Amino acid sequence: MDPIVMVVLLLGIMFVLLGSGVWIGPTLMAVAAIAIDVIAGRPAGASISTTAWSTSSSWMLTALPMFIWMGDILFHSKLSEDLFKGLAPLMGRIPGGLLHTNVMGCTLFGSVSGSSVATLTTVGKMTIPELRRRGYPEHLVVSTLAGPATLGLMIPPSIIMIVYGALTNESIAAINIAGILPGLVLAGLFSGYVAFRALTMKDYHPAEEPKVSLREKLHGARRLIPVIILLTVVIGTMLAGIATATEAAATGVVGALALALWQGTLTRENFMASLMSATRSSAMISLILVSAGSLSLAMGYLGLPEMLATWVDSFQLSAFWLLMGLLVLYTILGHFLDGISCVALTITIVEPMVRHAGIDMIWFGIFIVLVVEMAQITPPVGFNLTVLQSMTGHDLFKIGWWSVPMHIIMLVMVFIMIAFPELATWLPKQMIPVSA
Amino acid sequence: MLASLRKGLDAVYLWCGYLAALCMASILVITMLQVVTRYLNISITGITEYAGYLMAASTFLALAHALNSGTHIRIETVAKFMGSRRITLDMAAFGVAAVITSWFAWHSCSMVYVSYRFNDISTGLDATPLWIPQLTMAFGNVLFAVAITDNFLRLLFTGKHGIQPSTEIL
Repeated sequence: MDPIVMVVLLLGIMFVLLGSGVWIGPTLMAVAAIAIDVIAGRPAGASISTTAWSTSSSWMLTALPMFIWMGDILFHSKLSEDLFKGLAPLMGRIPGGLLHTNVMGCTLFGSVSGSSVATLTTVGKMTIPELRRRGYPEHLVVSTLAGPATLGLMIPPSIIMIVYGALTNESIAAINIAGILPGLVLAGLFSGYVAFRALTMKDYHPAEEPKVSLREKLHGARRLIPVIILLTVVIGTMLAGIATATEAAATGVVGALALALWQGTLTRENFMASLMSATRSSAMISLILVSAGSLSLAMGYLGLPEMLATWVDSFQLSAFWLLMGLLVLYTILGHFLDGISCVALTITIVEPMVRHAGIDMIWFGIFIVLVVEMAQITPPVGFNLTVLQSMTGHDLFKIGWWSVPMHIIMLVMVFIMIAFPELATWLPKQMIPVSA
Repeated sequence: MLASLRKGLDAVYLWCGYLAALCMASILVITMLQVVTRYLNISITGITEYAGYLMAASTFLALAHALNSGTHIRIETVAKFMGSRRITLDMAAFGVAAVITSWFAWHSCSMVYVSYRFNDISTGLDATPLWIPQLTMAFGNVLFAVAITDNFLRLLFTGKHGIQPSTEIL
């Protein structure tokens, strides 16, 4: 069959199924089955089920439920209160004041949580009422949550980076570590923007924070100790090569349980709620991974990714323009799908192109996360927006409009990453490999 | 009769969800065991393989429960624009999904049979006959197909499916 007919046919089936509301996993599996059975003319059932088994029973993948569970436990704990009360005295008097607790809170919580929605809800449930009470401009309260919440996915641990690592066979620990510096730079940009708006805006009159002595600041900062310990356990051990991603994640779960126990939030209900919710989320993502694995098997049979990569090669695009093309592609896709599904859907096709162009796959992992996350704060489907809508009561499009500056900042970050690729690639190279 | 079938199915979905959660908790225990034993210079054979089997079990056994909890992602943008005709589109989507998942369930079962028939042994140090851990995948996928068909039939005959709105924070 003509490759172009093949691509159009398969894409057509995929969009019809997705659009009519068939779940992501079964859709990808159906496309894979049709590709293998009908187009390549081989029995699809046996190969897909064995691929599904080997994908789902991989030890590497166990980092996924562990990190999800850790985030779920912390979500039920008092960590958000600790973050706010620890950060507030430190941030109160700088330009932008307590708006920085949104940015810093997301940065810190992002380093113990692998999801941007979890980061958003945990930080927001504490800061939104507090900031409102002090009269901060509503659009800044909302947008400084929408943007920085995406740091949950940039700063390790990151669920989407685990998915990316599993699909591209790159080291899960290395990709997670690669997100640290870009995440911090991005946090810096967000903070800079907050300070800039606070200094230049006309109707910016939040209640002034009382002066606090250094002693009181330190006293408040004690509340940050638990999150810093957890962060060290999870990121530090991976970076120092003491633990694999799974081991770091499991230690993180134990740490989170210990913290919840110490705070007295580890009730039977909370424990069960976190356990069951993590089990469901992990099963959902694993099903998508399993189906994406089948799809990549099917694409391999057809030789499509190589064909497309050669085709793209024939345009003699520079790596920069290829990235710009992908930026557009993911921005469009991200309007309809969540980040994980975007990655799962496209990576088989995109990976050979990117490798052909000589782009580092770990760097590209950070790029993809940044771009896909940008789309999550764009209406109509941005998932972070939906959550913010239910938390603040504002209209989706209004929040999306308020978040435009965040969007621009993230776009600037994309170009910073392109100009300084070492931001993502340097730190993973410093990692000491785990001697297991 | 129908009421007790309803009750029975819901109980099976939920209890398999609990079983999946138990598998996930066991991954934690096994991984911590591995961390501890490494420092004591003891090695337990095949521990990573067992963690992998638990991972698969935890995934597949939870699929049906996750479906009814609304965790699995699907695009509802088009359906939202359909207004009162939305139900027709939902029926089509559920029907197609029922076919796909049944197909996958059937082949998962035949994979287990092949592993059993040819006595496939794990290539790892654990040397487990593979059909035993693979049973969880076959069973979980059958249950997933049943759950989707269940919701499809409910939608067809009562106009309402049993999938709750998602409460996940992921």
